[in-house]
Amino acid sequence: MEKPVYNTDIVRSFVHWSLLWGLVAILVGVIVSLQMVEPDLNFPPYLTFGRLRPIHTNAGIYGWGVGVIFATFIYMVQRLCKTPLWSNKLAKFQLWFFNATIIASAITLLLGYTTSKEYHEMEWPIDVMVVILWVVFAVNILMTILKRQEEQMYISLWYMMAALVGVAILYLVNAAALPVSLFKSYSAYAGTNDANVHWWFGHNAVAMALTAPPLAMFYYFLPKTTGVPIYSHRLSIIAFWSLIFMYLWTGAHHLLWTPVPDWVQTLAMAFSVMLIAPSWGSVFNGYLSMNGQWHQMKENYLVKFLIIGLTFYGLQTLQGPMQAIRSFSAFIHYTDWVPAHIHMGTMGWVSMISYASIYYLVPRIYGRELYSVPLANMHFWLTLVGQLVWSISLWVAGVLQAGMWNATNSDGSLTYTFMETMVEMYPYWWARAAGGFIFFLGIIIFIYNLFMTVRKGKDVVAPIVTAAGRN
Amino acid sequence: MDWAAILYLGVTFGLFAIFVAIVIHTCRDKHKETGEAPKYTMLEDD
Repeated sequence: MEKPVYNTDIVRSFVHWSLLWGLVAILVGVIVSLQMVEPDLNFPPYLTFGRLRPIHTNAGIYGWGVGVIFATFIYMVQRLCKTPLWSNKLAKFQLWFFNATIIASAITLLLGYTTSKEYHEMEWPIDVMVVILWVVFAVNILMTILKRQEEQMYISLWYMMAALVGVAILYLVNAAALPVSLFKSYSAYAGTNDANVHWWFGHNAVAMALTAPPLAMFYYFLPKTTGVPIYSHRLSIIAFWSLIFMYLWTGAHHLLWTPVPDWVQTLAMAFSVMLIAPSWGSVFNGYLSMNGQWHQMKENYLVKFLIIGLTFYGLQTLQGPMQAIRSFSAFIHYTDWVPAHIHMGTMGWVSMISYASIYYLVPRIYGRELYSVPLANMHFWLTLVGQLVWSISLWVAGVLQAGMWNATNSDGSLTYTFMETMVEMYPYWWARAAGGFIFFLGIIIFIYNLFMTVRKGKDVVAPIVTAAGRN
Repeated sequence: MDWAAILYLGVTFGLFAIFVAIVIHTCRDKHKETGEAPKYTMLEDD
C-alpha cells in the first residue's frame, strides 16, 4: 500500500503558536502572583489583577492547552487512521483564526469586557469566534477519522472524539446569552440556574479540554516512547466509557452549601467520588504499561514527564473527589487550597504531558535530534519543583486560612478579623510566586532547547514529507 | 412525579444500560483478541 502523505507543516505552526501563548500565560501568571503580595505592581486600569488574571487563565487554557491539542490531535489522527488530514485548507484557516481569537480575547479582557463567568469571561463576539474555530477543527478531525484506513480505533481516538463533542456542547450551552451591545450580553439563565449551568460547564471543561486530550496524548506518546504497547486496551476502553458516563454529573460539587437544590449537590458529590474508578483505571493502565520498563524513568526524559504527569493526574483525581464531599468542602472551599488543587492539574498533569508530547513531536517533524537532553532533564526538574512549591505552599495556606476563618471565641464571635487572615497569607503567597517563577524558568529552557533543536540539532532522519494531502 | 422527572429518570437508566452493555461487550473473552489489537497496530512505523 502506498504510504500516506501526512501534513506536518500545520503541526509545526500549532506547536510554535502554542509555545508562544504558553509563555504568555505563565509570565502573566507570575506577574499576577506578585501583584497579590506587592499591590504597587497593579497599574490601573489595564494592568490590574482583575484584568490580568483572566488573561492568565484563558491564555493558559485556550492558548497553551488548546494550541497543544490542535498540534497533537492533527499529528496523531493522521497516524492512527493511516490517512492524511481531511482538509489542509481548513487546518490553515483554523491556525490563523485560532490566533485571531486569542488576540481578540486578550484585547477585550484587557479593556475590561467580561461576562464575569470564570473560564468563560469572553463576551459574545469572541464566543462566536470560538464556536467557528471548534467546529472547523472538529469537522476536520472527524472527517479524517471517518475515512481512516484502520478498522479498529485506538483509545486515543475515542478520547479525541469525546473532547471534540464535549467541548462543543459545553461551550454552546454555557454561552447562551442575550447581547445588548457589541461587547455586552446577559446570560440566558438566571440565579441558581445560571450558577448550575456555569459550573456544569466549568468542571466539564476540565474533563473535555484538560483530561480527555491529555489522556489521548498519554496513551499515544507513552507506548511510542517506550516502544512497548499499553498494558490493556480493553481496560482503557472501559475507563473511557466510565469517565464519559460519570463526569457530566459532577459540576454542582462547585456549588455545595449554596441555594442549588440539595439533591443536585448530593448527585454531584456521589458521581465525583465514583469518578475515582475510571481515573485510576487509566493511572493503573499507565503504571502497568511500565512493567519491565521502569529503568526508562532514569534513562529517558520523555518517560519522566509522562509518568510523573500521570502521577499528578492520579493525585488530582483523588484530591478532587475528597474536596467534593460536603464536610471537607465546607472547610476548604473559598480558601487558597482550591487554586493549589487546580494548579496541580494544570502545571503537573496537563503541562507535563504537553511538554512530553512536544518533545516527542519536534525532533520528528523537523528530522533533528533534540539539541540537549541535559537541558530537557533540567526542564523536568524545574517543572516538578516549581509545581510542588506552588501547590504545597497554597495547601498549607488554605488550611491555615480555613482554620482562622472558622476560629471562634467562647462567646461565639470570630477570633480573627478578615484582614488578620490576609496578613498571615503573605509568606505563602511569596512562596507561590517563587514556585511560579521556577516553573517559568523551566518553560524558557524548554523553548530555548526546541529553538536550538530546529536551528542546530543534528539531522538524524529525513524530515517527514510535508507536502499537502488532499483538499 | 411529573413527566419531566420520569423522562429524566428514563434517560438516566437508558444511559446506564448502554454503559453496562459496553462494559459487558468489552470484557467478553470472545472480544479479547480484537479488543487488544489496536495497542499493537498503533506501534507500527509511521
